[in-house]
Amino acid sequence: MTFALIENGFLSLISSAIPASTVVVLAALGCLVGERVGVLNLGQEGLIGIGGVYAVIAVVTWGVGSPWVALAIGMAAAGIAGLMFAVAVVVFRASQVLVGLALALGGIGLSNQLGTNRNGVQVRTQFSEFSLGGSLVDGGVREALFAHDPMVYVAYVLLPLTLWFILFRTRHGMNMRAVGENPAAADAVGVSVTWSRIGYSVLGAAISGAGGAYMVLSFTPTWSPDIARGRGWVALAVVIFAGWRPVRAVFGALLYGTMFSLGLTAQARGWGFLFNATDLAFFLSMLPFLVTLAAILLPAGAAKIGKRVRSTAAPAALAIPYSREER
Amino acid sequence: MSTYRLERRLEVDTKKQALTRVAGALIAMAVAGLVLLLTGRNSFKILFDGLEAIFGSQRGLEGVALRAIPILMTALAVALSLRMKIWNIGSGGQFLMGAFAALGVGIHVNGPGWLVLILMALAALVAGSLWILVPALARAYWDVNEIITTLLLNFVAAQLVTWASIGFWRDTEAAVIQSTKRVPYRLAELPGTDSLTIALLVPFVIALVLFWIFRSTTIGFEIDTIGGNARAAAFAGINVRRRILLVMLCTGAIAGLGGMLQLSAPGARQLGPGYEAQFGLTGFIVAALAGGAMMGVLVGGTFIASMFFAGLVLQTKGLSVYIIFGIYGLILTGVALGEMAARYRLVRVGDAVSSERVAS
Repeated sequence: MTFALIENGFLSLISSAIPASTVVVLAALGCLVGERVGVLNLGQEGLIGIGGVYAVIAVVTWGVGSPWVALAIGMAAAGIAGLMFAVAVVVFRASQVLVGLALALGGIGLSNQLGTNRNGVQVRTQFSEFSLGGSLVDGGVREALFAHDPMVYVAYVLLPLTLWFILFRTRHGMNMRAVGENPAAADAVGVSVTWSRIGYSVLGAAISGAGGAYMVLSFTPTWSPDIARGRGWVALAVVIFAGWRPVRAVFGALLYGTMFSLGLTAQARGWGFLFNATDLAFFLSMLPFLVTLAAILLPAGAAKIGKRVRSTAAPAALAIPYSREER
Repeated sequence: MSTYRLERRLEVDTKKQALTRVAGALIAMAVAGLVLLLTGRNSFKILFDGLEAIFGSQRGLEGVALRAIPILMTALAVALSLRMKIWNIGSGGQFLMGAFAALGVGIHVNGPGWLVLILMALAALVAGSLWILVPALARAYWDVNEIITTLLLNFVAAQLVTWASIGFWRDTEAAVIQSTKRVPYRLAELPGTDSLTIALLVPFVIALVLFWIFRSTTIGFEIDTIGGNARAAAFAGINVRRRILLVMLCTGAIAGLGGMLQLSAPGARQLGPGYEAQFGLTGFIVAALAGGAMMGVLVGGTFIASMFFAGLVLQTKGLSVYIIFGIYGLILTGVALGEMAARYRLVRVGDAVSSERVAS
């Protein structure tokens, strides 16, 4: 009996953690694509906002009836922002940290401004549930794992596996990693550092923008100011935690989402262990950020103490501008 | 046919670089004005309204000074870390925790005003540096990048302050729901002003002290050496890890003290969710604009504070706070591009080999 209760609680936690983490999964994979070719985009918070607000505009103002088209519009908008970022940092070699922060600030400002008249408006065009597994698994497990909208499966399974395959099983992926690790060597064998950095910054930004679009097309599903609420920063941390590996990034993001829905569940059910209900809710609302912090500190600490942690180092040329003259 | 291309200068003139940074920021503001014009807002009127709001009255000038205190404090904190090429993006959180600790002392300790205020300041210094302790240790001894660790703690601090203002330190006597009890003590007023306290002097004193440290002390020289090339500094026998820890704790302390000073501002003697008001990010922009030069921080901070204040006034006239965020983003991009512009020069390909090439 008690066991069944715990199992139910666990399954319902997972079923709410999965959609809650999807944004972070997408943004983390977006960062990862750029960081693998050596471009650090700190503007994730802004990209999520831009992707989200343009998806809302597409549905509410332009009357787009398909969530996939709205998603594509959100991704395109974030991709354009990513292109502007890439031109500044790759072509003009400006500081990636400064321009990234500028994109975070400017993106939040732009999206909030564009969303001003759309606060709280219900987004009618939404992703609908897409059931996998059918009758193979029973109720609780099915609810938790196989009853989500299609973007969840894209974010958790399709995209990370595709990225893993491209990065680690194809020649193109090897070239990408070479650009991130040793651009001079990649350049010497004829890989265009400039173009792959620009191209993958734009693609990465579009994927992060898909995270924002997913929020308004399925998770919330309304527009509210500051829609990212720190998820972009968490995504950047998740990439570090994952050691720049796409499949591990999914689990890092789930850790955040689980902590996030733990807070929501506690609030909804009025749990009150250790503290009273209000205080517990506040304590739990800090937890996702604290756990994310711990998640990037612990592997680094373990590596220093001497425990072997398999290849968790950042791409060697991350955030370093490349120019042929200065090898 | 001759084409142009960028060539890197072998030596970068820091004064020229400061100029190009400022030029970048000004161009960015011009672009912002153009965008406002194109979206149907009269940016000239906004500019003149803003100038009038600032210089039209003593209240306007005092308003700028009031905003300048927290912005200068966080900017000095960030500038100090920038000297070592460390990015403290968590100054907003350290600012909040400083205010949190100072408030805790202020509402729980009874005593002579000056003594409690000193205790509050000490509590703020300690709280600010404690808030950056974990990122600092991780950066110094585990080589964990500080950008994300410092930033994540901003969200934790914001939640903690909201918790305090709704929960354990809530002002139960007033009808306001989201605000803590008020601190009964306030810093001495500056003579001749309506709203300013001696808090205004603090950032200027700190800037002077930091300026002196970097100009004439060994430790300042060591920090600049680490900022220039950490490996070379280690070879020269400087204990880089310890210096990183020291500098990061000091930046936290300065930002934390800023949080305590803000408690003396009129209408801000209690904490609530809006207390931080983006002072951390604004200070970051100032420090980036000044490039770690302490006197530059004072000038740039006052400039950005007047923009901030004008923005607050214009907000009541329909200019949203979000637009100001957008303008901040543009300015920061302009600064980053300007910083780069000083490092490169345009040369015509096909001309005689440039002189710097020959020199090398």
